Amino acid sequence: MIKLESRHWIFLGLFVLVVGAMVLNISFDIAVTDETQRLYNLIDSLPEGSTLIISFDHEASSLPEIRPLALVVLRHTFSKNIKLIGTALLAEGTGVGYQLMNMVAKEYGKQYGIDYVYLGFKPQYIAAILSMGESIPETFPEDYLGKPVAQLPLLHNVKNYDDIAGVISIADGSLTTHWIEYGASRYGVRVSAAVTAAMMTTYDPYLASGQLYAMIGGLRGAAEYERLINRGGAGKRGMLAQTVSHIYVICLIVVGNIVYFRAKRKKRSNS
Amino acid sequence: MDWGTLVAGVLTLAILSFLYRDNPVYKMAESLLIGVSIGYFLVITWSNTVMDLLIVPLTRNGRWSLVVPLLLGLMMFGRFHRKTSVLSRIPIAVLIGSGAGVAIPAMLEARTLKQVSATVSPLFTSSGLPDISIIVVLLGVLTTLSYFYFSREHKGVLGTSAVVGTYFLMIFFGTTFGYTVMSRMSTFIGRVEFLLSDFLHVTQ
Repeated sequence: MIKLESRHWIFLGLFVLVVGAMVLNISFDIAVTDETQRLYNLIDSLPEGSTLIISFDHEASSLPEIRPLALVVLRHTFSKNIKLIGTALLAEGTGVGYQLMNMVAKEYGKQYGIDYVYLGFKPQYIAAILSMGESIPETFPEDYLGKPVAQLPLLHNVKNYDDIAGVISIADGSLTTHWIEYGASRYGVRVSAAVTAAMMTTYDPYLASGQLYAMIGGLRGAAEYERLINRGGAGKRGMLAQTVSHIYVICLIVVGNIVYFRAKRKKRSNS
Repeated sequence: MDWGTLVAGVLTLAILSFLYRDNPVYKMAESLLIGVSIGYFLVITWSNTVMDLLIVPLTRNGRWSLVVPLLLGLMMFGRFHRKTSVLSRIPIAVLIGSGAGVAIPAMLEARTLKQVSATVSPLFTSSGLPDISIIVVLLGVLTTLSYFYFSREHKGVLGTSAVVGTYFLMIFFGTTFGYTVMSRMSTFIGRVEFLLSDFLHVTQ
Protein backbone atom coordinates (compact mmCIF):
# COMPACT_ATOMS: atom_id res chain seq x y z
CA MET A 1 0.00 0.00 0.00
CA ILE A 2 1.21 3.50 -0.85
CA LYS A 3 2.24 5.36 2.28
CA LEU A 4 2.88 9.09 1.90
CA GLU A 5 5.35 10.93 4.11
CA SER A 6 5.62 14.71 4.51
CA ARG A 7 8.23 15.07 1.75
CA HIS A 8 5.89 13.25 -0.67
CA TRP A 9 3.18 15.84 0.01
CA ILE A 10 5.70 18.60 -0.72
CA PHE A 11 6.63 16.97 -4.08
CA LEU A 12 2.98 16.38 -4.87
CA GLY A 13 2.13 20.02 -4.11
CA LEU A 14 4.87 21.21 -6.47
CA PHE A 15 3.78 18.79 -9.19
CA VAL A 16 0.13 19.93 -8.97
CA LEU A 17 1.14 23.61 -9.08
CA VAL A 18 3.47 23.20 -12.07
CA VAL A 19 1.00 21.04 -14.03
CA GLY A 20 -1.83 23.46 -13.19
CA ALA A 21 0.23 26.43 -14.37
CA MET A 22 1.21 24.66 -17.61
CA VAL A 23 -2.39 23.65 -18.36
CA LEU A 24 -3.70 27.16 -17.64
CA ASN A 25 -1.00 28.54 -19.98
CA ILE A 26 -1.39 32.16 -18.89
CA SER A 27 1.39 34.36 -20.20
CA PHE A 28 2.38 37.72 -18.80
CA ASP A 29 4.83 40.43 -19.67
CA ILE A 30 8.25 40.33 -18.09
CA ALA A 31 10.88 43.04 -17.96
CA VAL A 32 14.00 42.57 -20.07
CA THR A 33 17.28 42.84 -18.15
CA ASP A 34 20.26 44.80 -19.46
CA GLU A 35 22.33 41.62 -19.95
CA THR A 36 19.70 40.03 -22.20
CA GLN A 37 19.22 43.28 -24.10
CA ARG A 38 22.98 43.46 -24.65
CA LEU A 39 23.13 40.02 -26.31
CA TYR A 40 20.10 40.90 -28.43
CA ASN A 41 21.73 44.21 -29.49
CA LEU A 42 24.99 42.43 -30.32
CA ILE A 43 23.35 39.94 -32.67
CA ASP A 44 20.95 42.54 -34.04
CA SER A 45 23.76 44.97 -34.89
CA LEU A 46 25.92 42.45 -36.78
CA PRO A 47 25.95 42.95 -40.53
CA GLU A 48 24.46 40.18 -42.70
CA GLY A 49 27.00 37.50 -43.53
CA SER A 50 28.95 37.89 -40.26
CA THR A 51 30.04 34.64 -38.67
CA LEU A 52 29.42 33.58 -35.09
CA ILE A 53 30.60 30.50 -33.22
CA ILE A 54 27.94 28.82 -31.10
CA SER A 55 29.47 26.33 -28.70
CA PHE A 56 27.24 23.73 -27.06
CA ASP A 57 29.17 23.31 -23.80
CA HIS A 58 26.61 21.38 -21.78
CA GLU A 59 25.46 17.93 -20.83
CA ALA A 60 22.25 16.28 -21.93
CA SER A 61 20.83 16.41 -18.39
CA SER A 62 20.41 20.19 -18.52
CA LEU A 63 18.54 20.08 -21.83
CA PRO A 64 15.17 21.27 -20.43
CA GLU A 65 16.78 24.55 -19.38
CA ILE A 66 19.35 24.82 -22.16
CA ARG A 67 17.02 24.09 -25.09
CA PRO A 68 14.87 27.27 -24.78
CA LEU A 69 18.05 29.36 -24.48
CA ALA A 70 19.67 27.74 -27.52
CA LEU A 71 16.51 28.05 -29.59
CA VAL A 72 16.09 31.81 -29.04
CA VAL A 73 19.73 32.51 -29.87
CA LEU A 74 19.66 30.29 -32.98
CA ARG A 75 16.35 31.78 -34.19
CA HIS A 76 17.61 35.34 -33.79
CA THR A 77 20.92 34.67 -35.55
CA PHE A 78 19.37 32.79 -38.46
CA SER A 79 16.66 35.46 -38.86
CA LYS A 80 19.44 38.08 -39.19
CA ASN A 81 21.21 36.00 -41.88
CA ILE A 82 24.26 35.51 -39.72
CA LYS A 83 26.42 32.50 -40.51
CA LEU A 84 26.95 30.01 -37.74
CA ILE A 85 29.72 27.61 -36.83
CA GLY A 86 28.58 25.05 -34.27
CA THR A 87 31.02 23.35 -31.92
CA ALA A 88 30.84 21.41 -28.65
CA LEU A 89 33.38 21.24 -25.85
CA LEU A 90 31.46 18.52 -24.01
CA ALA A 91 30.74 15.22 -25.74
CA GLU A 92 27.14 15.06 -24.53
CA GLY A 93 26.29 18.43 -26.04
CA THR A 94 27.44 17.34 -29.48
CA GLY A 95 24.31 15.52 -30.62
CA VAL A 96 22.01 18.06 -28.97
CA GLY A 97 23.71 20.97 -30.74
CA TYR A 98 23.54 19.27 -34.13
CA GLN A 99 19.85 18.48 -33.71
CA LEU A 100 18.93 22.01 -32.57
CA MET A 101 20.94 23.75 -35.31
CA ASN A 102 19.38 21.60 -38.02
CA MET A 103 15.90 22.11 -36.62
CA VAL A 104 16.12 25.92 -36.55
CA ALA A 105 18.04 26.08 -39.86
CA LYS A 106 15.14 24.22 -41.51
CA GLU A 107 12.65 26.78 -40.07
CA TYR A 108 14.58 29.58 -41.81
CA GLY A 109 15.46 27.67 -44.99
CA LYS A 110 19.19 27.74 -44.31
CA GLN A 111 21.60 25.55 -46.22
CA TYR A 112 24.21 23.38 -44.53
CA GLY A 113 27.79 24.26 -45.50
CA ILE A 114 26.83 27.72 -46.76
CA ASP A 115 24.78 29.30 -43.95
CA TYR A 116 25.89 27.07 -41.11
CA VAL A 117 28.25 24.21 -40.33
CA TYR A 118 28.51 21.90 -37.37
CA LEU A 119 32.06 20.93 -36.49
CA GLY A 120 31.18 18.83 -33.45
CA PHE A 121 33.19 17.90 -30.39
CA LYS A 122 36.86 18.33 -29.56
CA PRO A 123 38.23 17.01 -26.28
CA GLN A 124 40.65 18.94 -24.05
CA TYR A 125 38.68 22.17 -24.18
CA ILE A 126 41.62 24.46 -23.39
CA ALA A 127 43.66 22.97 -26.22
CA ALA A 128 40.63 23.18 -28.53
CA ILE A 129 39.97 26.89 -27.75
CA LEU A 130 43.67 27.79 -28.16
CA SER A 131 43.99 25.74 -31.33
CA MET A 132 40.95 27.44 -32.89
CA GLY A 133 42.67 30.76 -32.21
CA GLU A 134 45.45 29.63 -34.55
CA SER A 135 43.41 27.76 -37.15
CA ILE A 136 39.84 26.53 -37.09
CA PRO A 137 40.23 24.29 -40.19
CA GLU A 138 43.28 22.60 -38.67
CA THR A 139 41.51 22.08 -35.34
CA PHE A 140 38.51 20.59 -37.14
CA PRO A 141 39.80 18.98 -40.35
CA GLU A 142 36.33 17.46 -40.79
CA ASP A 143 32.85 18.47 -39.70
CA TYR A 144 30.56 16.44 -37.43
CA LEU A 145 29.47 14.30 -40.38
CA GLY A 146 33.03 13.55 -41.48
CA LYS A 147 32.99 15.94 -44.45
CA PRO A 148 36.38 17.65 -45.08
CA VAL A 149 36.28 21.37 -44.26
CA ALA A 150 37.55 22.16 -47.78
CA GLN A 151 34.10 21.08 -49.02
CA LEU A 152 32.31 23.55 -46.72
CA PRO A 153 32.07 26.97 -48.45
CA LEU A 154 31.33 28.80 -45.18
CA LEU A 155 34.79 27.94 -43.88
CA HIS A 156 36.68 29.04 -47.01
CA ASN A 157 37.04 32.57 -45.63
CA VAL A 158 37.34 31.63 -41.97
CA LYS A 159 40.78 30.97 -40.60
CA ASN A 160 40.63 31.82 -36.90
CA TYR A 161 38.92 34.16 -34.39
CA ASP A 162 39.95 37.19 -36.48
CA ASP A 163 37.22 36.20 -38.94
CA ILE A 164 34.62 35.63 -36.23
CA ALA A 165 32.26 38.29 -34.84
CA GLY A 166 31.95 36.51 -31.50
CA VAL A 167 31.48 33.32 -29.56
CA ILE A 168 28.28 32.38 -27.75
CA SER A 169 28.85 29.61 -25.25
CA ILE A 170 25.68 27.71 -24.32
CA ALA A 171 26.74 26.15 -21.04
CA ASP A 172 25.58 24.46 -17.86
CA GLY A 173 28.97 24.52 -16.14
CA SER A 174 32.27 26.37 -16.04
CA LEU A 175 33.31 25.93 -19.68
CA THR A 176 32.40 29.50 -20.56
CA THR A 177 35.17 30.54 -18.14
CA HIS A 178 37.69 28.87 -20.47
CA TRP A 179 36.30 30.76 -23.45
CA ILE A 180 36.85 33.96 -21.41
CA GLU A 181 40.33 32.99 -20.17
CA TYR A 182 41.71 31.68 -23.44
CA GLY A 183 39.45 32.96 -26.22
CA ALA A 184 38.72 36.48 -24.96
CA SER A 185 41.88 37.26 -22.98
CA ARG A 186 44.40 35.78 -25.38
CA TYR A 187 42.78 36.24 -28.79
CA GLY A 188 40.41 39.12 -28.06
CA VAL A 189 37.33 37.33 -29.36
CA ARG A 190 34.04 38.69 -27.95
CA VAL A 191 32.54 36.02 -25.69
CA SER A 192 28.88 35.93 -24.63
CA ALA A 193 27.01 33.26 -22.72
CA ALA A 194 23.65 31.55 -22.51
CA VAL A 195 23.79 29.63 -19.26
CA THR A 196 21.63 27.78 -16.75
CA ALA A 197 20.36 29.94 -13.86
CA ALA A 198 22.58 28.06 -11.38
CA MET A 199 25.69 29.35 -13.19
CA MET A 200 24.69 33.01 -13.33
CA THR A 201 26.43 34.05 -10.11
CA THR A 202 29.63 32.40 -11.38
CA TYR A 203 29.63 34.59 -14.47
CA ASP A 204 28.37 37.84 -12.93
CA PRO A 205 31.90 39.05 -11.99
CA TYR A 206 33.08 38.46 -15.58
CA LEU A 207 30.07 40.34 -16.88
CA ALA A 208 30.71 43.25 -14.50
CA SER A 209 34.38 43.45 -15.54
CA GLY A 210 33.47 43.37 -19.25
CA GLN A 211 35.34 40.12 -19.89
CA LEU A 212 32.00 38.54 -20.73
CA TYR A 213 30.16 40.71 -23.24
CA ALA A 214 26.59 39.61 -22.57
CA MET A 215 24.70 36.84 -20.79
CA ILE A 216 21.24 35.33 -20.75
CA GLY A 217 20.40 32.84 -18.06
CA GLY A 218 17.81 30.24 -17.25
CA LEU A 219 14.22 29.94 -18.34
CA ARG A 220 13.67 33.59 -17.48
CA GLY A 221 16.50 34.67 -19.79
CA ALA A 222 14.89 32.63 -22.57
CA ALA A 223 11.50 34.25 -21.86
CA GLU A 224 13.07 37.73 -22.00
CA TYR A 225 14.75 36.93 -25.30
CA GLU A 226 11.52 35.47 -26.71
CA ARG A 227 9.88 38.80 -25.94
CA LEU A 228 12.66 40.68 -27.75
CA ILE A 229 12.42 38.55 -30.90
CA ASN A 230 8.63 38.65 -30.60
CA ARG A 231 8.18 34.90 -30.67
CA GLY A 232 6.61 32.63 -28.06
CA GLY A 233 8.41 29.57 -26.75
CA ALA A 234 9.16 27.36 -23.78
CA GLY A 235 10.52 30.33 -21.78
CA LYS A 236 7.29 32.34 -21.98
CA ARG A 237 5.15 29.24 -21.42
CA GLY A 238 7.15 28.29 -18.33
CA MET A 239 7.07 31.69 -16.60
CA LEU A 240 3.78 31.15 -14.74
CA ALA A 241 4.94 27.70 -13.59
CA GLN A 242 8.26 29.16 -12.45
CA THR A 243 6.57 32.01 -10.58
CA VAL A 244 4.13 29.77 -8.69
CA SER A 245 6.87 27.22 -7.92
CA HIS A 246 9.08 29.98 -6.48
CA ILE A 247 6.21 31.29 -4.32
CA TYR A 248 5.65 27.69 -3.19
CA VAL A 249 9.34 27.33 -2.18
CA ILE A 250 9.25 30.68 -0.32
CA CYS A 251 6.12 29.53 1.57
CA LEU A 252 7.84 26.24 2.45
CA ILE A 253 10.89 28.09 3.78
CA VAL A 254 8.69 30.39 5.91
CA VAL A 255 6.58 27.47 7.24
CA GLY A 256 9.73 25.41 7.90
CA ASN A 257 11.26 28.26 9.92
CA ILE A 258 8.06 28.82 11.94
CA VAL A 259 7.87 25.09 12.77
CA TYR A 260 11.58 25.03 13.66
CA PHE A 261 11.45 28.02 16.00
CA ARG A 262 8.20 26.87 17.63
CA ALA A 263 9.72 23.45 18.30
CA LYS A 264 12.86 25.11 19.69
CA ARG A 265 10.82 27.34 22.00
CA LYS A 266 8.72 24.38 23.16
CA LYS A 267 11.85 22.37 23.90
CA ARG A 268 13.34 25.27 25.89
CA SER A 269 10.16 25.80 27.93
CA ASN A 270 9.98 22.04 28.70
CA SER A 271 13.56 21.94 29.95
CA MET B 1 3.96 9.43 -31.32
CA ASP B 2 7.45 8.45 -32.46
CA TRP B 3 9.57 5.87 -30.63
CA GLY B 4 12.04 8.48 -29.36
CA THR B 5 9.30 10.47 -27.58
CA LEU B 6 7.80 7.28 -26.14
CA VAL B 7 11.16 6.11 -24.74
CA ALA B 8 11.97 9.60 -23.38
CA GLY B 9 8.54 9.86 -21.73
CA VAL B 10 8.72 6.44 -20.07
CA LEU B 11 12.29 7.08 -18.85
CA THR B 12 11.31 10.51 -17.46
CA LEU B 13 8.51 8.89 -15.45
CA ALA B 14 10.92 6.13 -14.34
CA ILE B 15 13.38 8.72 -13.00
CA LEU B 16 10.61 10.74 -11.33
CA SER B 17 9.42 7.57 -9.55
CA PHE B 18 12.44 8.01 -7.25
CA LEU B 19 10.56 10.89 -5.60
CA TYR B 20 8.33 8.24 -4.00
CA ARG B 21 11.15 5.89 -3.09
CA ASP B 22 14.08 3.96 -4.57
CA ASN B 23 12.77 1.21 -6.86
CA PRO B 24 13.93 -1.20 -9.62
CA VAL B 25 12.38 0.90 -12.42
CA TYR B 26 14.38 3.93 -11.27
CA LYS B 27 17.54 1.81 -10.93
CA MET B 28 17.09 0.53 -14.48
CA ALA B 29 16.66 4.06 -15.89
CA GLU B 30 19.67 5.31 -13.90
CA SER B 31 21.89 2.44 -15.11
CA LEU B 32 20.72 3.04 -18.68
CA LEU B 33 21.65 6.72 -18.40
CA ILE B 34 25.15 5.92 -17.12
CA GLY B 35 25.70 3.20 -19.74
CA VAL B 36 24.48 5.28 -22.67
CA SER B 37 26.47 8.34 -21.54
CA ILE B 38 29.72 6.38 -21.27
CA GLY B 39 29.11 4.57 -24.55
CA TYR B 40 28.32 7.84 -26.33
CA PHE B 41 31.41 9.53 -24.87
CA LEU B 42 33.66 6.62 -25.92
CA VAL B 43 32.36 6.59 -29.50
CA ILE B 44 32.63 10.38 -29.89
CA THR B 45 36.13 10.44 -28.35
CA TRP B 46 37.29 7.55 -30.55
CA SER B 47 36.04 9.09 -33.78
CA ASN B 48 36.84 12.77 -33.05
CA THR B 49 40.14 12.30 -31.25
CA VAL B 50 41.87 8.99 -31.86
CA MET B 51 40.78 8.70 -35.49
CA ASP B 52 40.64 12.39 -36.56
CA LEU B 53 43.68 13.69 -34.71
CA LEU B 54 45.95 10.65 -34.65
CA ILE B 55 45.31 7.61 -36.82
CA VAL B 56 44.06 9.35 -40.00
CA PRO B 57 46.77 12.09 -40.10
CA LEU B 58 49.46 9.52 -39.24
CA THR B 59 48.51 6.77 -41.68
CA ARG B 60 46.96 8.74 -44.57
CA ASN B 61 48.71 12.11 -44.42
CA GLY B 62 52.10 10.86 -43.21
CA ARG B 63 52.38 13.28 -40.27
CA TRP B 64 55.15 11.36 -38.51
CA SER B 65 55.54 14.00 -35.79
CA LEU B 66 52.38 12.51 -34.27
CA VAL B 67 54.40 9.46 -33.25
CA VAL B 68 55.61 11.50 -30.23
CA PRO B 69 52.13 12.07 -28.70
CA LEU B 70 51.24 8.48 -29.66
CA LEU B 71 54.20 7.15 -27.66
CA LEU B 72 53.42 9.47 -24.75
CA GLY B 73 49.83 8.26 -24.79
CA LEU B 74 50.91 4.61 -24.84
CA MET B 75 53.23 5.26 -21.88
CA MET B 76 50.16 6.17 -19.82
CA PHE B 77 49.06 2.52 -20.00
CA GLY B 78 52.26 1.62 -18.13
CA ARG B 79 50.35 2.41 -14.93
CA PHE B 80 48.57 -0.93 -15.18
CA HIS B 81 51.73 -2.88 -14.28
CA ARG B 82 54.08 -2.28 -11.36
CA LYS B 83 57.26 -2.79 -13.44
CA THR B 84 56.24 -0.32 -16.16
CA SER B 85 54.37 2.19 -14.00
CA VAL B 86 57.40 4.51 -13.95
CA LEU B 87 56.88 5.15 -17.68
CA SER B 88 53.57 6.89 -17.02
CA ARG B 89 55.39 9.63 -15.12
CA ILE B 90 56.82 11.05 -18.35
CA PRO B 91 53.48 11.88 -20.07
CA ILE B 92 52.08 13.09 -16.73
CA ALA B 93 55.06 15.42 -16.34
CA VAL B 94 54.53 16.71 -19.88
CA LEU B 95 50.83 17.27 -19.18
CA ILE B 96 51.44 19.10 -15.90
CA GLY B 97 54.28 21.18 -17.30
CA SER B 98 52.51 22.28 -20.46
CA GLY B 99 49.17 22.64 -18.67
CA ALA B 100 50.63 24.89 -15.98
CA GLY B 101 52.53 26.91 -18.57
CA VAL B 102 49.36 27.55 -20.54
CA ALA B 103 47.03 28.05 -17.58
CA ILE B 104 49.02 30.25 -15.17
CA PRO B 105 49.41 33.39 -17.33
CA ALA B 106 45.85 33.11 -18.66
CA MET B 107 44.29 32.63 -15.24
CA LEU B 108 46.43 35.33 -13.67
CA GLU B 109 45.24 37.79 -16.24
CA ALA B 110 41.57 36.75 -16.50
CA ARG B 111 40.83 35.81 -12.90
CA THR B 112 43.11 38.16 -10.97
CA LEU B 113 44.36 41.23 -12.85
CA LYS B 114 41.19 41.94 -14.85
CA GLN B 115 38.99 41.29 -11.80
CA VAL B 116 41.10 43.54 -9.55
CA SER B 117 41.09 46.33 -12.12
CA ALA B 118 37.29 46.01 -12.40
CA THR B 119 37.00 46.28 -8.61
CA VAL B 120 39.23 49.34 -8.32
CA SER B 121 37.08 51.74 -10.30
CA PRO B 122 36.54 55.46 -9.62
CA LEU B 123 34.27 55.89 -6.57
CA PHE B 124 32.66 59.01 -8.01
CA THR B 125 30.78 59.46 -11.24
CA SER B 126 31.75 62.10 -13.80
CA SER B 127 29.10 64.39 -12.29
CA GLY B 128 30.82 64.22 -8.89
CA LEU B 129 28.23 62.01 -7.20
CA PRO B 130 29.34 58.86 -5.36
CA ASP B 131 28.87 55.66 -7.39
CA ILE B 132 26.94 53.51 -4.89
CA SER B 133 27.40 50.19 -6.69
CA ILE B 134 31.19 50.62 -6.93
CA ILE B 135 31.37 51.56 -3.24
CA VAL B 136 29.33 48.48 -2.27
CA VAL B 137 31.56 46.23 -4.42
CA LEU B 138 34.73 47.70 -2.88
CA LEU B 139 33.31 47.39 0.65
CA GLY B 140 32.29 43.79 -0.06
CA VAL B 141 35.73 42.85 -1.42
CA LEU B 142 37.65 44.44 1.49
CA THR B 143 35.44 43.11 4.29
CA THR B 144 35.22 39.60 2.77
CA LEU B 145 39.00 39.50 2.39
CA SER B 146 39.36 40.59 6.02
CA TYR B 147 37.19 37.63 7.07
CA PHE B 148 39.73 35.29 5.44
CA TYR B 149 42.70 37.01 7.11
CA PHE B 150 43.69 34.60 9.87
CA SER B 151 47.10 35.96 10.91
CA ARG B 152 45.49 38.20 13.55
CA GLU B 153 42.64 37.58 15.96
CA HIS B 154 39.33 38.95 14.70
CA LYS B 155 38.98 41.77 17.27
CA GLY B 156 38.39 45.52 17.05
CA VAL B 157 38.28 46.98 13.51
CA LEU B 158 39.32 43.68 11.95
CA GLY B 159 36.60 41.86 13.89
CA THR B 160 33.89 44.33 12.78
CA SER B 161 35.13 44.18 9.20
CA ALA B 162 35.11 40.35 9.29
CA VAL B 163 31.53 40.33 10.59
CA VAL B 164 30.45 42.66 7.76
CA GLY B 165 32.32 40.31 5.40
CA THR B 166 30.24 37.36 6.59
CA TYR B 167 27.06 39.30 5.70
CA PHE B 168 28.36 39.77 2.15
CA LEU B 169 29.19 36.05 2.03
CA MET B 170 25.69 35.15 3.25
CA ILE B 171 24.13 37.36 0.57
CA PHE B 172 26.28 35.60 -2.05
CA PHE B 173 25.32 32.14 -0.75
CA GLY B 174 21.66 33.13 -0.66
CA THR B 175 21.77 34.46 -4.22
CA THR B 176 23.54 31.35 -5.47
CA PHE B 177 21.04 29.11 -3.69
CA GLY B 178 18.14 31.10 -5.14
CA TYR B 179 19.52 30.77 -8.66
CA THR B 180 20.10 27.04 -8.11
CA VAL B 181 16.48 26.58 -7.01
CA MET B 182 15.42 28.53 -10.10
CA SER B 183 17.60 26.30 -12.28
CA ARG B 184 16.21 23.05 -10.86
CA MET B 185 12.66 24.34 -11.16
CA SER B 186 13.34 25.23 -14.81
CA THR B 187 14.57 21.68 -15.43
CA PHE B 188 11.47 20.22 -13.77
CA ILE B 189 9.16 22.58 -15.67
CA GLY B 190 10.91 21.59 -18.92
CA ARG B 191 10.25 17.89 -18.27
CA VAL B 192 6.63 18.52 -17.21
CA GLU B 193 6.11 20.50 -20.41
CA PHE B 194 7.54 17.61 -22.42
CA LEU B 195 5.28 15.11 -20.64
CA LEU B 196 2.15 17.24 -21.09
CA SER B 197 2.72 18.29 -24.69
CA ASP B 198 4.84 15.76 -26.60
CA PHE B 199 4.15 12.63 -24.54
CA LEU B 200 0.53 12.96 -23.34
CA HIS B 201 -0.70 15.66 -25.77
CA VAL B 202 -2.63 17.39 -22.96
CA THR B 203 -1.32 20.84 -23.89
CA GLN B 204 -0.16 22.31 -27.20
